[in-house]
Amino acid sequence: MIFTSVVFALFFFILALLYYIFPAKYRWPWLLLSGIFFYMYGNPVYILIIVFIILVTYYTAIQIEKASDPKRILQFYLFAIFSNIAVLVFFKYTNFFTSTAFDIINFTRRNVTHNPQILNNSLVINTIAPLGISYITFQAIGYLIEIKRGNHLAEKNIGHLSTYLLFFPKIIAGPVERAHHFIPQLKQAKIFNYNYISIGLKLILWGLFKKLVIADRLSIYVSAVLGNASYHSGISLLIAVIFYVFQMYADFSGYTDMALGFAKVLGFDLTQNFNRPFFAKSVTEFWRKWHISLSTWFADYFYTPIAIAKRDWGNWSVVYAFFVTFIVLGFWHGANWTFIVFGALQGFILTIEFFTRKARKNIRKKIPNLLNTYSGIAFTLGYFTFSLIFFRADSISDALMIIKRIFTEKGLLYIENSSILIFSLLGIFFLMLVELKKEFYDNLFTLSNNKNWLIRNGYYCFLLLVILIAGVFDGGEFIYFQF
Amino acid sequence: MAGNLFIFNFDKTNMVKLLQHIIQKKNYQYLLLKIGAFMILAFVFDLLIGNLLKHFYFKQTSGWEYRTKYSIEDTKADILIFGASRAQQQYNPIYFEERLNQSCYNVGRDGEPIFYHYGVLKAVLKRYTPKMIILDIENGVFRERRDSYDRIAVLLPFYKNHPEMHSIIELRGPFEKYKLCSQIYPYNSLLFKIATGNSEMNKKRNKDINGYVPLSRSMNKPINTVDFSKKYGMDTAKINIYRSFIKDCKDANIELYIVCSPYFFNAVGHDSSMSIAKEIANDNNIDFIDFSKEKEFLNNSRLFDDTVHINIAGSKIFSNKLVDSIILKQKLLYR
Repeated sequence: MIFTSVVFALFFFILALLYYIFPAKYRWPWLLLSGIFFYMYGNPVYILIIVFIILVTYYTAIQIEKASDPKRILQFYLFAIFSNIAVLVFFKYTNFFTSTAFDIINFTRRNVTHNPQILNNSLVINTIAPLGISYITFQAIGYLIEIKRGNHLAEKNIGHLSTYLLFFPKIIAGPVERAHHFIPQLKQAKIFNYNYISIGLKLILWGLFKKLVIADRLSIYVSAVLGNASYHSGISLLIAVIFYVFQMYADFSGYTDMALGFAKVLGFDLTQNFNRPFFAKSVTEFWRKWHISLSTWFADYFYTPIAIAKRDWGNWSVVYAFFVTFIVLGFWHGANWTFIVFGALQGFILTIEFFTRKARKNIRKKIPNLLNTYSGIAFTLGYFTFSLIFFRADSISDALMIIKRIFTEKGLLYIENSSILIFSLLGIFFLMLVELKKEFYDNLFTLSNNKNWLIRNGYYCFLLLVILIAGVFDGGEFIYFQF
Repeated sequence: MAGNLFIFNFDKTNMVKLLQHIIQKKNYQYLLLKIGAFMILAFVFDLLIGNLLKHFYFKQTSGWEYRTKYSIEDTKADILIFGASRAQQQYNPIYFEERLNQSCYNVGRDGEPIFYHYGVLKAVLKRYTPKMIILDIENGVFRERRDSYDRIAVLLPFYKNHPEMHSIIELRGPFEKYKLCSQIYPYNSLLFKIATGNSEMNKKRNKDINGYVPLSRSMNKPINTVDFSKKYGMDTAKINIYRSFIKDCKDANIELYIVCSPYFFNAVGHDSSMSIAKEIANDNNIDFIDFSKEKEFLNNSRLFDDTVHINIAGSKIFSNKLVDSIILKQKLLYR
């Protein structure tokens, strides 16, 4: 069930209506039931995997908390972590590991094996990863780590824990919500709050705008060009790659806005996932503004423990932690070497930025502030755009081919339909205008929060009408649903 | 103890609950009021902008949307040519008019599936009965493709005034008729096309000959081989619509020709869609004229714009050859 579909709109309307009609004590069970229904809508069987994750997480968390023997705690902890990771690895990475293993074997024994491809294909598992499996397991693992560290108490109500993991707005593509942020909200009696609903509906509308008007419009050009990269000129590929960055942002942040909006209507605050990342002045800052819930998850449960464990290495512990963290983060996106390269590229630039931080600080003092800001933004955006070529490509050779063609292949800009290009450029312009205003001139005249009812609602009417005029209604799923 | 001070035995908790209840009730009313006011505002804007777009859509004098509108609402030609790009860019009506002494219009539209052709046919048949219809069929015409349903969107502006097209337009999805309550929605993504369609510049730039849009490039490369033996998923809805297209033409006593125009490749095996199309045509005693293996075209890449579209020079030869075949069939029929 996609957030932009009519079916989902009906689902959410009925859900929200009944949610507020039911007495407060029945609201979380209703949310749980809705989450189960939402999850089972696509592929009902996969709910069994989620039930397994919930049961293991629930039981082991309580045992970890109860046990006094450190050895026993470790046993429960490792069992729970292993179970969660095993589910994730099985569904997402089995084929990757098998094919890589066979590639290595065949490479070393290529004279012996006459048809390695058949050997390889015979072990491919034909399963589709359950929806949101990465997000659900990460939330479960984060919860278990916090219990093990003694930062939080284990949840005794399995219903609350299940609702936390199956809260429908965040099931499929996050945010990666922390249990200690979400479960207490679940226990509060939710009363009907006009402000929450108003903010929620506005967020949904803005998310819908980003997805339908910007992301899905851009995707038409991006798919046409990057999907057939070997036929297109350098300029077309460059434009498509730039469009892809904005598509990715509008798609993912649009999804997140909608998720936050749906949660808000039901009285919940979810973690912000984006904070105008395109205005980051360094890649280090960028990762504090992009997919925040995931990057902080990795920072807390991956980067910091690694950096601490290797602190004897001095600065190299940070470098090591950067690389390991970002390679795993890249790999989290999917079982493909392209994601690993994407992660490694982030690790590489963060290392450079780490070692040059003092030198850059000195340079910054000598150049005008404006130049410093804009050069930093341009470099960060440029680097991220470059790394996304690997993220988008099907294979490393495809990515390299795109990069090569950008610089070598002369030819005209591909324009199949000029209105697609015009709508795309206008969409990017409007998005950046809104972000620019929020970033630098937030206290200036505002349309979205104007005190005048007509101006405020006129603005939201405008968004709605632009969706009808320029939205792409056949665009399909959100990019991050596949992860 | 505190509760005893009140006549109704209220304690603090009850008081809080009562206050919450009052606030909630007011909140509900306030929200409904605001949503209602917003909906009215949106409705008014939708009505105004939608009607503005409608006015300019139907006022266009050139471009794709204009040709679609002309095909559906205006043409009274004796001969109509249906199909996708391989109809629109290959059949020159001038040769049909000259040699068959009947008016002709090319109602083909680039990229459109059989649903579109049938929608246009239904609208035409509601107005008048053409004497002859030529339907161009291409390889993979019945292939399962989600975007075939998305492409029906070009018919949305005609939903309100053409009930005969409802069944076709509603193939887009179960909620389509509800989406069409909006006045803007039928003109979704058409803003710039409508603007250019109303400009004089576009009229000069986008010239067509009775719906035919000639291609001017000339290809110069050796012929390739394309393997059609691989099976693919068939869309039964498309096959049924094709059947209905034939039936409606037969019911209206229209002379129908189904044509596969030239390709510039040597085909290995048979395309599944083409085989089905031929079979259904034969079952209905409809002439199926196949130019896909015509030597004159296979031996001359210069008659092509690309491997699946002939250019203006190729179009002249092809159109005349098709007219020859039609005249021959007519002679045989009326002998």
